[in-house]
Amino acid sequence: MLDGYISAFEYIFSGPLSILLIVGGTIWGILFGAVPGLTGIVGVALLIPFTFALEPTQGLLLLGSVYVGSTYGGSISAILFNTPGSPEAACTALDGHPMAKQGQAGRALGIALSASAIGGIFGTLALMLLAPPLARVALSFGPAEYFALATLGITAIASIGSGSFLKGILSGLIGIGIATVGADPLTGIGRFTFGNDMFLTGVGFVPAIIGLFALSEVLERFSERGVVGEVIAKTSTKLPSIVELITLKWTLLRSSFIGLVIGILPGVGATTASFIGYSEAVRWSKTPEKFGKGAPEGIAAPESANNSAVGGAMIPLLALGIPGSATTAVMLGGLTIHGIVPGPLLMLQNKELVFSVFVGMMLANLLMIVFGLKAATIFAKVLDVPYALVGSAIAVFCITGVYALNNNMIDIAVMLSFGAFGFFLKKFDVPIAPLIIGMVLGPIAETNLRRALILSDFRLDPIISSPLSASLLILSVVSLMYGFYGQYRRFKRAQMQMKRL
Amino acid sequence: MKRRQFIGANLGVLGMLSAGVVLPISAEEAYPARTVEVINQFGPGGGTDNFIKAIGRPFYKITKRTLVGISVQGGGGVPAAQTFFSRPADGYTMMAIGPEEMINDALGRIDSSLFRPVARIQYDQGLFYALGKGKFKSIQDVITAAKANPEEIKIAVTGAAGFDQVVVGLWNLASGGKITPVPFGSAAESIAAVLGGHVDLLYEEYGPARGMIESGDLRPLVIFTEKRLPVLPAVPTALELGYDVTLGRWRGFALKKADSEAHAKKLYDILAEASKAPEYKAVEEKSALQYRSVLFGPDEFATFLNEQRLLYKKMVKELGYTK
Repeated sequence: MLDGYISAFEYIFSGPLSILLIVGGTIWGILFGAVPGLTGIVGVALLIPFTFALEPTQGLLLLGSVYVGSTYGGSISAILFNTPGSPEAACTALDGHPMAKQGQAGRALGIALSASAIGGIFGTLALMLLAPPLARVALSFGPAEYFALATLGITAIASIGSGSFLKGILSGLIGIGIATVGADPLTGIGRFTFGNDMFLTGVGFVPAIIGLFALSEVLERFSERGVVGEVIAKTSTKLPSIVELITLKWTLLRSSFIGLVIGILPGVGATTASFIGYSEAVRWSKTPEKFGKGAPEGIAAPESANNSAVGGAMIPLLALGIPGSATTAVMLGGLTIHGIVPGPLLMLQNKELVFSVFVGMMLANLLMIVFGLKAATIFAKVLDVPYALVGSAIAVFCITGVYALNNNMIDIAVMLSFGAFGFFLKKFDVPIAPLIIGMVLGPIAETNLRRALILSDFRLDPIISSPLSASLLILSVVSLMYGFYGQYRRFKRAQMQMKRL
Repeated sequence: MKRRQFIGANLGVLGMLSAGVVLPISAEEAYPARTVEVINQFGPGGGTDNFIKAIGRPFYKITKRTLVGISVQGGGGVPAAQTFFSRPADGYTMMAIGPEEMINDALGRIDSSLFRPVARIQYDQGLFYALGKGKFKSIQDVITAAKANPEEIKIAVTGAAGFDQVVVGLWNLASGGKITPVPFGSAAESIAAVLGGHVDLLYEEYGPARGMIESGDLRPLVIFTEKRLPVLPAVPTALELGYDVTLGRWRGFALKKADSEAHAKKLYDILAEASKAPEYKAVEEKSALQYRSVLFGPDEFATFLNEQRLLYKKMVKELGYTK
């Protein structure tokens, strides 16, 4: 193993090209992450033809760095403009933007950046030290376990929402319902398409979150007549102090671990990781009512989870040849064209490649801190421009970005409707977090339950009795009750205070 | 200064583009005079996208025009086809087609007679696999067990009501031992489900599973080709066992029916030359697609599509997707 690292270091530092690719890849990734409509997947896919001119190892160094950078980049626009630049940053907007509005944009960006780096380094360390055994462990997750995992994530909805408990549940159910639109994932039959076959694509997650967050924010700002000036101030990114990081240690550790596990599982990636990271942070918090209003844990949790998922997703790719996420699937396609056969023997046959990627990704995570600070400062300059211009620009970006993603006009219609929908949700004080959690985790739970049922010949007992899924499901029930109890207690406390007044 | 250069370059590009737009009538021999777009239902970086890029490089060398993939993902390819059919029939929009279009035709979602076939370029091959250390040592084991307990053996496939399920359906009809397909969202998920022992068997093309065969994690049981694969001499074909299943995934290009025969002919000539270029051949080989990818021109491809259309109509009915 040590000789592997020595040759990897020799490879990377033997000339300027490898370093240049890692630096360039990280910057390219941050930009693709930050601009709505340009996701990490697109950033990687666009560079694949370019890698043909490179050696396979150099190509993978470039793509890996893009992946690392893009997973962080989304948080910049999520925090500053409430516009998640990529789907995995949707959760970051929930608390990041409120914190920015309180005049602490720099603090929010700093927490996002350091949480990303900590999560990223955690994931990469796991990749370096434990890739083969972890990849094998991940295989023990079958459809029943995926179902139980998604169920556990969904039950966190019970803990979210400080106002009305009913509104939270309602919002979650709407999210789960919206996600059922489109071609049935198992039979291909159209559901709720109203006879329009363009709707077979379903309600896209990216158009939905761009509408819910970005467009509804623009609508809200313009509807507040008179407030033309910019309320977000103090944007120079400030990395959190050691003391602040220590107060976040459990959130960071828990989220990094969750991100790693979800990253390793094929079919779910950084987006799911950030959602489960966020909902677990709410569930374990002593003050869940502070989430959604600028809680530092609400930024640290999704950002450390999604960056840890990057290292996680590379684990089955390098150890088994199975991509752990959509972005790594694109990388796999690129590797194949380079003549590298993906599979369990990859780590033995292409030792230099694998170890160089380990070292390269670690470097990319460290470089991300440097370039992340710089990128956040540059993006923050936009805030000096009057909102009348910025808001219009965001609206234009929303439309072009959503269309560029999939060349489908339906996506624009979805984005616009969700913009209006999000505007009204805010007016009626309905929390958005349960809605998007339902949209992401609902389909995972549904499809995997149905798959598990086919596998068990439609008997329920094998699904709930496997040790892994049984523990996850018991945890779901416990946390559901705990969530309800917490909500009840807060309600009572509020009532007492009312009486005292 | 840099900005001015950039604008200058852009103006140059714009000039070329507008020249292309204004002058296509100048002469048919100048066709293609600008970028040819290829609408497809797969995402950037996927197999079809990489295929378009791979053949796009020699395409550019021959014509000095680019071939650009346009992804309209999801919905089983129906949104992609609808986007394609809404484009003008001017020779500058093709669609990358495959078995999905035949299935959508059979389901009545699109009308595949509205395609003007240009070229079929790739013809892949698939296999059934079992876990390397699992209980199924040969395809005979599977057939015996499936006949004894129909529908008890589960096979992981990729995609809902898609090509993989048609292959399994054909196999079930031919072999008489019924196995149950379980659809997964991606090849990664279905391979992982089999490796983890959650599903008994896997259907997958040869290329993506090569590494798993080499390491012994997956055991290839039967291949759906006319002849055994030179790299897998011990794996029997279904045909040898007496079951006529040779269906494979294919990739080709089509224009709209309303487009001209001359355009189809010209594009075929270019694609035929491009598909023989060493740089494309290399990609084909690295993806393990060289074994039976025989090039079909507009007429042969049309005949092939007609056969496929009938076959998929029958299978979709057999599988209970239509009445």
